[in-house]
Amino acid sequence: MIAVNGLKKRFKLTKEAVSGNAHQDPRQRDGYFNSVEAVSFKCEGNEVLGLLGPNGAGKTTTLRMLSTALTPDDGSIHIAGHDIVKHPLAGRKAIGFLSGTTGLYGRLTAKENVEYFAKLHGLKGRALKSRCEYLFATLDMESFLDKRAEHLSTGMKQKTNIARAVVHEPQVVILDEPTTGLDIMTKQTIIQFIRMLKANQTPVVFSTHHLDEIALLCDRICLIDQGVSCFDGTIEQFKAVGDSNELNDAFLNIVNQGRAHV
Amino acid sequence: MFEVFLKEVRELLRDRKTLFFVIALPIVIFPVLFALLAFLASKTTLEAEQKVHTYYIANAHLAPEFEERVFYHKSFKLYDGDERFESVTALSDAVRAGKIDVGIVIPDEFNHQPSANVQSAWQVVFNDAQSINFVYKRLEKLINQFAADLRTASLEALGVPQTEHKALLNPIAVSKVDTADKRENYGEKLGAFIPYMLIPLVLMGASYPAIDLGAGEKERGTLETLLLTPVTRTQLVLGKFLTVLASSIACALVTVSSLAVWIGIASGFGALDSLKAAFASVSMWDYLLIFALLLPVAVMLSSLVLAISIYARTFKEAQNYMGPLSMLVFVPIVVSLLPNMSLTSLTAWIPITNVSLAIKEIIKGTVDYGAVLMIFVASALLAGALLSCCVRWFSRESVLFR
Repeated sequence: MIAVNGLKKRFKLTKEAVSGNAHQDPRQRDGYFNSVEAVSFKCEGNEVLGLLGPNGAGKTTTLRMLSTALTPDDGSIHIAGHDIVKHPLAGRKAIGFLSGTTGLYGRLTAKENVEYFAKLHGLKGRALKSRCEYLFATLDMESFLDKRAEHLSTGMKQKTNIARAVVHEPQVVILDEPTTGLDIMTKQTIIQFIRMLKANQTPVVFSTHHLDEIALLCDRICLIDQGVSCFDGTIEQFKAVGDSNELNDAFLNIVNQGRAHV
Repeated sequence: MFEVFLKEVRELLRDRKTLFFVIALPIVIFPVLFALLAFLASKTTLEAEQKVHTYYIANAHLAPEFEERVFYHKSFKLYDGDERFESVTALSDAVRAGKIDVGIVIPDEFNHQPSANVQSAWQVVFNDAQSINFVYKRLEKLINQFAADLRTASLEALGVPQTEHKALLNPIAVSKVDTADKRENYGEKLGAFIPYMLIPLVLMGASYPAIDLGAGEKERGTLETLLLTPVTRTQLVLGKFLTVLASSIACALVTVSSLAVWIGIASGFGALDSLKAAFASVSMWDYLLIFALLLPVAVMLSSLVLAISIYARTFKEAQNYMGPLSMLVFVPIVVSLLPNMSLTSLTAWIPITNVSLAIKEIIKGTVDYGAVLMIFVASALLAGALLSCCVRWFSRESVLFR
């Protein structure tokens, strides 16, 4: 289970950004850009949580805090009861992270890429071998294992990336727009992967702009707008609060309600 | 950390571009370029040496013995046209028009009789704008020989016996006794060029992989995944740093070894004997000392280029920063090349200049080991400080997620 409470993160603005304030974001105050101001949500073991929000809402910053790449200014993140803000190294062991822009080491083979990350996660010898073999078989990667990553097709690359992200058997998997720019076949690989995680009781948090994917995969939705989570609940609750059976309309209604309160 | 290092090295060895710059360039291309340069230089010198100059002497009839000497000299050929050039202006025009290479003006009042005892001013007209030009030297030699003969004849006419000519013309003969041995002499001339070659090589060997390991990772989107592994940022940066350091040292060592092999081959043909003699007395211990001094410089430069590369958003941005950096590195090396620059209590504190001067002293064989130890400690401290800056840099969110 993952529980996020009152996350905050701000970035210092450059002088140019402060002076060029023609379309100033309300989050821009006192020389800082308050990218995330109050984000809270939770996701249980058998759930998939979809992180929704307009562009620039603070989704990527939130996910980067979950993945411990960024340290929150305030708030807490608990995975299976452990505070990963206080213990980021333990957090990194518990999290698997994948985004649409995640790259591979082009001059290493698919197998070497996965094994490298396995070793960085402390896997060795027989444990490393058996875990990798299991993943290669599950993801049907055997045919291109010894090809250099730079020569792989997008689908093969994404499969390698998936294997890389879960090689250490993470307790939570975080996906940042994992299907952006992918073709239908590759997208299907990602969808199957999320279903596989759900079946294994691994909570998944993924951000996307595709509401059809939300409808297909998610049990819960968290909607972030202007750095604040203005909704966190089940799909049914989302439709009810958004006053529409169409996810699109519900999304727009919730965003507008949130902005009307500000 | 070693896992990161091993992976970086493996990836580096598969990168043809970096391998080309770090290995192939120093092994093959530099020596070939140097050889080509030397070949072209020697060819132009040879051509200048073999050139036969067309000459014209104004008032030649006043010095027939001199005219005869020039005529029979293998490097001079008498102008065979019909024109007459009897003044400096006419000769200058003829040189400019390419009719002759050189003209000599003997003044009208010149008298070659021993009794004359009047100084005569001759003029040599030629184009002196070429850097390799033997024409004036050759003519000066002929004129000096002719003047010496005139002097002897005049002294004899004055009744001075032949045996006293030398003492009369040169009452004091001075000769040089050099206390510097051969090694010190060669070391002063060549020693400064060793760091001039080695330190930029260390920088080159460091910058190519550094760009790939920092900015390259950011651009390819692999840095973020690397940051999500349970390896501390310090371990990550040290793994990367070790790779950059290894490459920079490898680049310098490969180049020096390849140069040694090429010099060996060249001296096998009889060329470059002086160079071989200069380095014959440099012992293995001296080479180790040079390496020991180069090590903190390599650490310094590796941390610096890695920090720059981590800061840069893209490969291109990193490359843009490397240009000015190499200029910055060249300045302290050039300072050590300035004439009479030596290792003093002041120069020992200038980073890179101190190492460069110490390497020169080692090659000269006049090194003060206390000063070398001090330089090593000072450079190592600076290198350590730069490395810790690099580690801190790698932990800053504003640098990693610019």
